[in-house]
Amino acid sequence: MAQAPPLTHNVLREGLALARTPDPNVMVIFGASGDLTARKLMPALYNLALNRYLPAGFSVVGCANTVWSDDEFRKVMRTAVEKNSRTQPIDDAVWDSFAEGLHYVPMGFDDQAAYERLGTRLAQLDQERGTAGNRVFYMATLSQFFSVIAGRLGAAGLVKKPEGWERVVVEKPFGRDLPSAQALNRELHAVFAEPQIYRIDHYLGKETVQNVMVFRFANGIFEPIWNRRYVDHVQITVAEDIGIERRGPYYDRAGAMRDIVQNHLLQLLSIVAMEGPANFQAETVRDEKVKVLRSIRPMDADKELVRGQYGPGWVAGEAVAGYRQEDRVASDSTTETYVAMKLAIDNWRWADTPFYLRTGKRLPKRASEIAIQFKRAPHLPFAKTVVEGLSANVLVMRIQPHEGASLKIAAKVPGPTMRMRTVNMDFFYGSSFLVESPDAYERLVLDCMLGDPTLFAREDEVEHAWALVDRAEATWQEQPPPAFPSYAAGTWGPEAADALIERDGRRWRRP
Amino acid sequence: MSVRPVAHHARVVGQFFDVRAIEQELAELRWRLLPDGALGGEAAEHAAAEARASTLNLVAVARTSKEEHRVSHTLERMSVHHPSRTLILLAQEDRHSPKLEATVSAFTDMVGSRLVANEQVLLHAHGQVAEHLASIVAPLLVPDLPVMLWWPGRPHFKGRLFNELADLCDRLIIDSDDEFDPSKDLGPLLHVAKRRTAQIAVGDFNWARLLPWRQVTAQFFDPPAVRAQLRAIHVVEAWSGASGSDAQARLICGWIQSRLARIDVKVERVLRENPEVGPGLCRLNLKGDGEGTRFTITGKPNECLATDMELDGKAYPERTVRIATRDPADLLAVEMVETGHDPVYEEALAAASQ
Repeated sequence: MAQAPPLTHNVLREGLALARTPDPNVMVIFGASGDLTARKLMPALYNLALNRYLPAGFSVVGCANTVWSDDEFRKVMRTAVEKNSRTQPIDDAVWDSFAEGLHYVPMGFDDQAAYERLGTRLAQLDQERGTAGNRVFYMATLSQFFSVIAGRLGAAGLVKKPEGWERVVVEKPFGRDLPSAQALNRELHAVFAEPQIYRIDHYLGKETVQNVMVFRFANGIFEPIWNRRYVDHVQITVAEDIGIERRGPYYDRAGAMRDIVQNHLLQLLSIVAMEGPANFQAETVRDEKVKVLRSIRPMDADKELVRGQYGPGWVAGEAVAGYRQEDRVASDSTTETYVAMKLAIDNWRWADTPFYLRTGKRLPKRASEIAIQFKRAPHLPFAKTVVEGLSANVLVMRIQPHEGASLKIAAKVPGPTMRMRTVNMDFFYGSSFLVESPDAYERLVLDCMLGDPTLFAREDEVEHAWALVDRAEATWQEQPPPAFPSYAAGTWGPEAADALIERDGRRWRRP
Repeated sequence: MSVRPVAHHARVVGQFFDVRAIEQELAELRWRLLPDGALGGEAAEHAAAEARASTLNLVAVARTSKEEHRVSHTLERMSVHHPSRTLILLAQEDRHSPKLEATVSAFTDMVGSRLVANEQVLLHAHGQVAEHLASIVAPLLVPDLPVMLWWPGRPHFKGRLFNELADLCDRLIIDSDDEFDPSKDLGPLLHVAKRRTAQIAVGDFNWARLLPWRQVTAQFFDPPAVRAQLRAIHVVEAWSGASGSDAQARLICGWIQSRLARIDVKVERVLRENPEVGPGLCRLNLKGDGEGTRFTITGKPNECLATDMELDGKAYPERTVRIATRDPADLLAVEMVETGHDPVYEEALAAASQ
């Protein structure tokens, strides 16, 4: 009898929501004693285990300077998950089974001998837990260690093995300007090929950000008007009400431009402005996003770029300090905590349709949203008094909080006279879908284990974004030191930002 | 998320009441639900229309007052995931004193910072009218939204009320653990999904309960090296707790049989009992070639599943995963998300009813 052909897929998977579970693998977390591991990574892994997304045999090897035993590591992680997991209380049986896979190797990140020990431990786990040489190396350390770790991994022969696959997840910040990002790319590429590198931007893991693509490309009615003929302009806002928390030293070196604009804001911009991809494969989608970044016209810094820094003020009924009074920030710091910019995208779809981007700390509320401001109706056959105060259609996609979308339309106020009012048609995730959204990290970590880099930034995306940021930073270097602070905490940013948009006869939305 | 139910009730009673009167009452209730003084009259009306959740219509059928209480209680527990409009039918054909009564209520929940209004109509009918409640349901459905028919207990598959409602609805939601005789009733259930006209998708609480079992079973065969073992599976054994129905065991076996039939693998079903544990599926075992290959999932008392596997005599690490407890409100919520036919369920049902 002829041999049956090999099975190309798992027939039991048909009709189940998740297409497949990842291959059994070991995640090696560098920086396992750090804040990110405790706050985001471990809770995400635990919740994946809880929801049965992880393969049997999945294991973690934590690496950091702190000297811990496996058991101590498990105990610390348990506390971290208890504190930070979105699902509570912690399920003992699931935790115990998950924790059996948690291991720890103390190491200095530049100590080559430690990597040999790590290798031995990993080989042992492959034997015991059937992880078959598959690895995710997660860099949850300070950014200065990224290239050191990559280099040491390569030298220890932990990357190009005969068996299994290796991937590396790199946290932000990915460089601090174009040259350093390029250098980091080169150093990573000496060890990893580009398809093995997963540069994380947790905004891309958010449900609503992915929903922007679904909204645009799964509905027939929006794409035909998604262009310069119908769209007057686009506003993208990432507003935070918090200050810099305890991140003083990092933030003072970075500023809003590097912290938010380079990654989150430009990612949102690419997704809103991109052409429809031919399919949802990683390279196709990322090709389209990069085309947007390439089409951005260099800004006229005098008119199209504003920076600001908050002074003391009131946020939500609480008196808060100004930026220069924050912990571990220089009292004459010129770091920007607010950026507003006007970008032009030079292509057929968007010519003459500006994109206004802004982000800031200590604004009145936390709100991230994308607002598509449509052009006014070309002719209004109503009396002037009737249409006064009527605004043009706006489609708002809210990323946080209250994820959803709303469309502003004009409607007649019932009654014998013709009066109009703008009303909102709202769609809330909460009232339409019955499932709780997973944390962005859960989605991204799972995607990486499955080998799907669609929601991660590619080398050229990162470099194009840095090029834009570098041009802006360069003009700031040439300018005299700014008169900071330029806005009071709890207000919507400096007056110059209002002037930037009002010059075009437009106004910022109040999110 | 804070939930603040603000209930307003009104009652429209009468033998010859007008369906339009119910609609009118609902509109007024929506309007009254707005916070006092928030908006002026006309604007309030706009806001009221806006605030209605736009998800679906739910028609729930109860045969006794006790069942009606159970239904209402489950719906209350669904928190913010309410359907836009719920019609509860208390249909008592066998009571002869004529009666047709409608009770209308609306209540709001806070969803984020917004009020979302939900509406409920309880229709209580005796005698012949009870058989024809579909004629009142039809005009009361919110247009353009899917219609779910939730029938606790075993429906009278041949009854007039069931068939007329089925014609109006997109999905029938039942619980094959509740009053069903698994050896006889799974067949008629499949016929509902395969009706010649007005096909209606079937959702089964048991299918939702079995989801973790199905996921975990499928995971065994995800690694390419293990996948080939699918061809060698020849026996599936399923254990049911002693007291109660074996519908879950039949369904999961039917699922494995129907999936593997697609790759021309014939699997024998063995139904077993474990008198020591409570109702429902408690253990599943797939046997491969030879003695040393098996894939086993065991239900644990603390809402967990333990999975273990042996390949050619080599045992692999055991793993524990959670199965969240699902009360009827959760199961209903899960089933209401789906709208279309689920061919995998229907094929499992077909295999299970043989």
